[in-house]
Amino acid sequence: MNDNKPVIVFVGQPNCGKSTLFNAIAGFKAQTSNFPGTTVTHAHSEVLWQGKVYTIVDLPGTYSLTPHEPQEKVVLTHVFQEKPDLIVNVVDASLLCRSLELTVELLELEYPMIVVLNMMDLAEKKGMSIEAEELEKKLGVPVIKSIAVRGLGTTELMNSVEKVLNEKIKPQALKFSPEVEKRIKKLQDLLPEDFPVVANKRFTAIKAIEAEALAVDKFFLENNPEFKTQLDQIRQEISALREFPAYEVIAAERHHLALKIFEECCRVRHARVRAAEKFDNLIMHPVFGLFFLVLIFAGMFYLIFKVGSPLEAWLLKPWEAIKLAIENRFGQSLLAELLSGLVQGIGGGVAIVFPYFIPLLLLMGLLEDSGYLARAAFLLDTFMHYIGLHGKSVPLFILGFGCNVPAIMATRILESRRDRLITVLLIPFIPCAARTTIILALVAFLLGPWWAVGFYFFNLLVIAVLSSILSRIFKFSSPGLILEIPSLKWPAFKNIMKKTYFNLAEFVRFAWPILIGGSVLLSLLSFMKFDRLMNDLLSPFVSGLLGLPQSLGVTLVFGFLRKELSLLMMFQALGVNYANLLSVLNQEQLLIFVVFVNFFIPCLSTLAIIWKEMGRKVALLSVLLNLSVAVVVSLLIRLAALIF
Amino acid sequence: MFHKSNVKGSKLSNQAPTCLLSEMPQGEAFRIVEIRGGPGLQRRLLALGFHRGDLLVLDGEAPIRGPLLVRNLTTDTRVALGRGIANKIIVEPVRNNE
Repeated sequence: MNDNKPVIVFVGQPNCGKSTLFNAIAGFKAQTSNFPGTTVTHAHSEVLWQGKVYTIVDLPGTYSLTPHEPQEKVVLTHVFQEKPDLIVNVVDASLLCRSLELTVELLELEYPMIVVLNMMDLAEKKGMSIEAEELEKKLGVPVIKSIAVRGLGTTELMNSVEKVLNEKIKPQALKFSPEVEKRIKKLQDLLPEDFPVVANKRFTAIKAIEAEALAVDKFFLENNPEFKTQLDQIRQEISALREFPAYEVIAAERHHLALKIFEECCRVRHARVRAAEKFDNLIMHPVFGLFFLVLIFAGMFYLIFKVGSPLEAWLLKPWEAIKLAIENRFGQSLLAELLSGLVQGIGGGVAIVFPYFIPLLLLMGLLEDSGYLARAAFLLDTFMHYIGLHGKSVPLFILGFGCNVPAIMATRILESRRDRLITVLLIPFIPCAARTTIILALVAFLLGPWWAVGFYFFNLLVIAVLSSILSRIFKFSSPGLILEIPSLKWPAFKNIMKKTYFNLAEFVRFAWPILIGGSVLLSLLSFMKFDRLMNDLLSPFVSGLLGLPQSLGVTLVFGFLRKELSLLMMFQALGVNYANLLSVLNQEQLLIFVVFVNFFIPCLSTLAIIWKEMGRKVALLSVLLNLSVAVVVSLLIRLAALIF
Repeated sequence: MFHKSNVKGSKLSNQAPTCLLSEMPQGEAFRIVEIRGGPGLQRRLLALGFHRGDLLVLDGEAPIRGPLLVRNLTTDTRVALGRGIANKIIVEPVRNNE
């Protein structure tokens, strides 16, 4: 117990809005979306409430306290080892019945607890009327209603937190049916003195019965053969009661408790089929659904280009003027080189990256919060089977269009290591916001929008081919798709704005220094004629193999730091401005440059996250794979250019 | 489509004709009789709120023999299930008077 800063953990099933509630209380700190499994690690925040500091921990969603997936294990570690002072069980009120099963399980811990009924608006729309007071009586813990996206219910929650902690209210576990309870009690009394007790003896006994493999206790069981026999005996007794496995008996007990409480506390008027549901049926329709899917993505990139390209042209002008002014004023001095490098860096960040980056972030936010990602997974599952994966990878690829880094982190939602490995290796081939900028700025802007469309198709084709190859190399049976489809929601405008701002701030903080620094560094290198040396060294590869101007060598190398950097440095290296680019490069060279930058190596942050999540070998494999694909594809383009 | 059950160890299915979840006609309520497959799958489905005795309705299918969209009426959850998994869940039709 920490008296100074009580630790409050948010526990709830996936997609119940824990992170949204967390953000409503702590300010925007955790990534949110309407897709189960967005939070894969925990977020901490200290919150000051009426003169007292609390530590709030937002945990990944979990369906139960018997973990199946890596991110669910994070929950257990926190709940068991860190001994929170208070559990806030966040519940999606519109899924009250199922969610109560976790609530019942959490009550078994007998830790101080508060239940938050989130998404009350959605529950009401579904025709549910929930009596919070009745629920409070049945569960024996305070119940707070909230709508976290609109920030409703946070004050009540924090007041309740204060009250529960002050009065040290502990709930009582709900009892199962007597014949099951009798067996649990029996095991409870048989627990050896030195058995590691978690929370309380009853909970420990239940978990011993339920767990398929007690990782912590394996060693213990081997040293206590007598206890192991007794445990097996009790498991068999419980199993015999209902004629199914003991763990299922326990789950059924919770299910019945949850059903009973639900029936006593919630009335459901059979609501009319909502317009939203009709719409939902339409977008999940086997034919129209796919049509919409294509339309949505085509529309998205069209919109980004339509908004981005005039904005880009308009924003570029002042920076060009400043650069010209510097050259006129300072001539060929070091100062001039550095200044123009600086201007190029800042100007590129503002004028080339922002116009495409911001609309992409906004639209991705819309897509994530509406609940469409899970639907895309459902629709595309079959196609994914053709390339050796299944539908659950689809949302991850879509996330990759925003940024590869969170997409790779989110691969933790995949159950099998093999699916995860293949998905992680493929995500770096998804053109993220930075590369979309390059594709739109170079291919669409200079060669025409249809070239960009073709480029995207080609890119998807490369991914499909790679996936087929990889899934033939890593042959394991992949488990089938099991994915919860969340309700469609109107995304909250405020939430999307906050999210975009959050991502943009990250970009400015991490990418800008690299963009500006890289640009200045290149100026310095070129002033000292050092870039020529590097270019000469790389020349056999850059001009020999790829057929690009020799001066682009350094540019490509720097693209490893940030892909946009290649774009900015390209102009600098070739000594031309944006509009005149085609005077020094031909179409073929431009395409090869874009292909190469797009594929050649995952950027520094992506590589770092692959290393962290999957280990050094996978990171290395990813580099090799990307590099070889980039070379092969570039050569293919050269070949195609020769033939046509 | 329906066949007499030969599901072992399942009390619920003594006489009722059972079928696989993947064979359920769209829009009609069915009851889960048994979930076959390893404990891993059973636990995953249990956690998502799929228990024996729950009522299910098939809401839709993805194109080209894609996954099934299944609504659990008892717990009011919607889940997409791949065909391989849907073939492991045995259901029986709910009689009208229930």
